[in-house]
Amino acid sequence: MKVLVIIPAYNEEESIKMTIDKLSKDAPYVDYLVVNDCSRDHTKEILEQMHASFISLPVNLGIGGAVQSGYRYALANHYDIAVQIDGDGQHDTAYLATVLEPLQKQEADVVIGSRFIAKEGFQSSGMRRAGIKILDSLIFLCTGIEIKDSTSGFRAINRTMIELYAKEYPIDYPEPEAIVRAAVEGARILEVPVVMKERNAGQSSIRPLHSAYYMLKVSIAIILCRISNHKRRK
Amino acid sequence: MSNTLQIFMIIAEVIYFILIFCFLKRKTLSLKYTLLWLIAGLVMLFFTIFPLTMIRAVKFIGVESAMNGLFALCIFFIIIILMSLTSIASKQSERIRTLTQQIAILEKRVREIEELNEKADENSNMQEGA
Repeated sequence: MKVLVIIPAYNEEESIKMTIDKLSKDAPYVDYLVVNDCSRDHTKEILEQMHASFISLPVNLGIGGAVQSGYRYALANHYDIAVQIDGDGQHDTAYLATVLEPLQKQEADVVIGSRFIAKEGFQSSGMRRAGIKILDSLIFLCTGIEIKDSTSGFRAINRTMIELYAKEYPIDYPEPEAIVRAAVEGARILEVPVVMKERNAGQSSIRPLHSAYYMLKVSIAIILCRISNHKRRK
Repeated sequence: MSNTLQIFMIIAEVIYFILIFCFLKRKTLSLKYTLLWLIAGLVMLFFTIFPLTMIRAVKFIGVESAMNGLFALCIFFIIIILMSLTSIASKQSERIRTLTQQIAILEKRVREIEELNEKADENSNMQEGA
């Protein structure tokens, strides 16, 4: 099966090379695509120098738009599986096989790499964990699916989901909403334990000052997504 | 509503329509988005020419003074127009997003084709040299 690893990168000049090198070492059997989201630093130059496989967005679209470009690319180039990892080295590509396995066995449509199952490695701050808990409960209420790490950006999806996400993908803070979107479509969602590291460099897309806004927006988005897709549920 | 107010209102509305017409003629406004403005203007014009209808309508919804009714109507139209603007902006950002993604993917293809061409050129040059 053809596998594409999508790496959204915004101002990741310090870590992008390492992330790519580690990926090619851990999983030489997969293709990858870096999506440079109009970075203002030297990310693009580094990618050019490396002759990396990348696309470069002419305007900044944010994480959702960047990841969706990757899914569009996967769709156009006939990939069977698309995996999404962060460009900052937070996600250990040694776990790629773990995330891919349920998809290759066709046991799931969406696989989420969760840092809260084995409870190893970087666990994020208490505040953020509390926020994630709230979102998880909301997702459970809306879809009946139990997720432990709904904001994890380490996830793999199969061809059916690639088609869905290429067509519509949430924009601003997409991870939790994307789960709900897949769930209302009747996708089988599976969480597997992975170990995450603390960000090497760069800036998280969730800044502390914006957390309240983030929680509110994501909660509304989840509920809206559930309501507006009610009829389509299989 | 006094006669003077009525006259000034009509003048104002005529200017309003002339402005919209000019924008439309210069094609700086597309008709699709101007329909709301035109409808709002026509309703206002109707109420200015037949103030009695407005006084009755305003009484019916429980507003005491006709002027307050007029203001409420204005605000209502402004809110509707703002909402339609937000919806237009959202639709456009969606389209821009799709375009951006498509351009980026195409740019990668172009880059790869150029690289292939360069290699092919180098090869043919080498063969000519040999």
